[in-house]
Amino acid sequence: MTTARVLSKNSFSLLAPGGSLLILVLLPGTTSAHRLDEYLQATRVDIARDRVNIDVDLTPGVSIARQVAAWIDVNANGEISPAESLAYATQVLESVSVSVDGSAVPLYLVAAEAPPIADMSLGVGTMRVRASANISSTRSGRHSVSIINTHHPETSVYLANALVPTDKVIQIREQRRSEDQHSLTIEYAIGLPIWPRVAWLLTAVTLLVGMWWMRHRLDRLENAETPAV
Amino acid sequence: MNIRLSLIFPLGVLLATGFAERAVQPAARAATPQVVSAANAFLATLSDAERAKVAFDFNSPQKTNGWSNLPSGIFQRNGLRLGDLTTPQREAAMATLGAALSKAGYQKVIEIMEGDEVLKNRGGGRTGGRPGAPGGGGQGAPARGGRGGGIVFGRDEYFIAFVGAPSATTPWMLQFGGHHLAINVTVVGSDNVMTPSLPAAQPARYVLNGQTVRPLGNENDKGFALINALDENQKKQAVLNYQVRDLVLGPGNDGKVIQPEGMLASAMNAKQQQMLLDIAHEWVGILNDAGANAKMAEIKANLPKTYFAWSGSTTNGELAYYRIQGPTVVIEYAPQQGDLDHIHTIYRDPTNDYGASLVKK
Repeated sequence: MTTARVLSKNSFSLLAPGGSLLILVLLPGTTSAHRLDEYLQATRVDIARDRVNIDVDLTPGVSIARQVAAWIDVNANGEISPAESLAYATQVLESVSVSVDGSAVPLYLVAAEAPPIADMSLGVGTMRVRASANISSTRSGRHSVSIINTHHPETSVYLANALVPTDKVIQIREQRRSEDQHSLTIEYAIGLPIWPRVAWLLTAVTLLVGMWWMRHRLDRLENAETPAV
Repeated sequence: MNIRLSLIFPLGVLLATGFAERAVQPAARAATPQVVSAANAFLATLSDAERAKVAFDFNSPQKTNGWSNLPSGIFQRNGLRLGDLTTPQREAAMATLGAALSKAGYQKVIEIMEGDEVLKNRGGGRTGGRPGAPGGGGQGAPARGGRGGGIVFGRDEYFIAFVGAPSATTPWMLQFGGHHLAINVTVVGSDNVMTPSLPAAQPARYVLNGQTVRPLGNENDKGFALINALDENQKKQAVLNYQVRDLVLGPGNDGKVIQPEGMLASAMNAKQQQMLLDIAHEWVGILNDAGANAKMAEIKANLPKTYFAWSGSTTNGELAYYRIQGPTVVIEYAPQQGDLDHIHTIYRDPTNDYGASLVKK
């Protein structure tokens, strides 16, 4: 993914009900690998207090690129239109189920980026799908997010990872995966930020020390005022 | 007095913990003047047109988008191609690289490049690129960087670029790369950093002049040595119960920090910790000694917060992936598509890729 990620003149955006939907057609992108007969699906999960953001990068290898291109370029004109990109991204998301604390939550598409078919034919074109799901419960304590990706499992290789949350209140406790990584469960905790806790602790310690000091002073004063026998 | 101590001590620990992530680095004072001098000597061999081609603004997209593991014909590198240089120019270009890298690091780069020459002569590998694969001709798609179309391998297909002007005071970057190689050395005053960089290999083993060459042989063998130095309880922590079939943080994944997994180095004994540091040094030590020493000191300071994760067989000679991840380092080692002869690796610093934290200062 290291070539110029410059938006082409074909780039545009459109609004979808319920939120903004950005569809981008990119100039050539590349992948970290140069695959042959595998469909690499790399998922990254970013957990925030009120939502979970999911990025899925889909890279078909050279040998299956034509097949995957046909799934996306449905009118077979050799170009992936924004509408085709959107339709395929929607298909991908229909194969991805998300649950939060054991309850299924709907996933909505945020952005879709399609590579040129020429790149795909070289095994280096990556389709990028970004989606989000809302999390209703933001109370402190333990929570879990589960993601299951069943998009074309017959040829796919999966990577699935939680990103370190940017919100320091959220701590990832555990990640559990299926052996092929098509499913991932992330256990996490929402806690009080560390500094309020430290501040509370320091305040308590200061009060205790202050009380001890005052008691000590009072004892000394009392002793000083008591006449020697 | 005791109360004062009991308050100061935890605060001291807190502060020390906070600062450990960016430990005081011994300056790489010796390297920068040599690198700048070698770079300027190379520039002096070039025509005006060539100088214009090799130079990029420090804040240009070339810095982050100009490198890849992919071969020519798929990925268009900018800068000057070694195959287009005269012999003196090529020697000066390689001397610049030699000044930026350690002796062992330079040798590793040469072995990766020679491996690509072997790949060219073999007509490609079982996995990865195949020369003549669609890149321009038959598929109706224009080749991006292909010389006459298709994928091109070989030692001539490596490029050098300067992102920013070589200087001992202002930030700049030496970018050198081609198929299975990306070396990004950012120079900020006396500091030299080499993240992100991507040393890879295909073939991972070849014979040259009667000698068996394994460009990433140490990375492989030291990884297996460490996993087998762990006891069963430690292995349970280090070995992931799922397959990892590729790099997670390869090219194009700048700025992403994944949740670390595996075994904490703090649960290792001193010998195992030293083995972990030795593995990391295979990547860190590609850079010149002064820069590498500074980085190793930082990694060592953060060792208690560094993870070692393993996926796959623990028998050397079989497929396995591993990752070292600490506050200021991520290293991944990943055979590609079940091919032991095709290895990708990545070396990153989530806090300082492209010298970002140094440039900010």
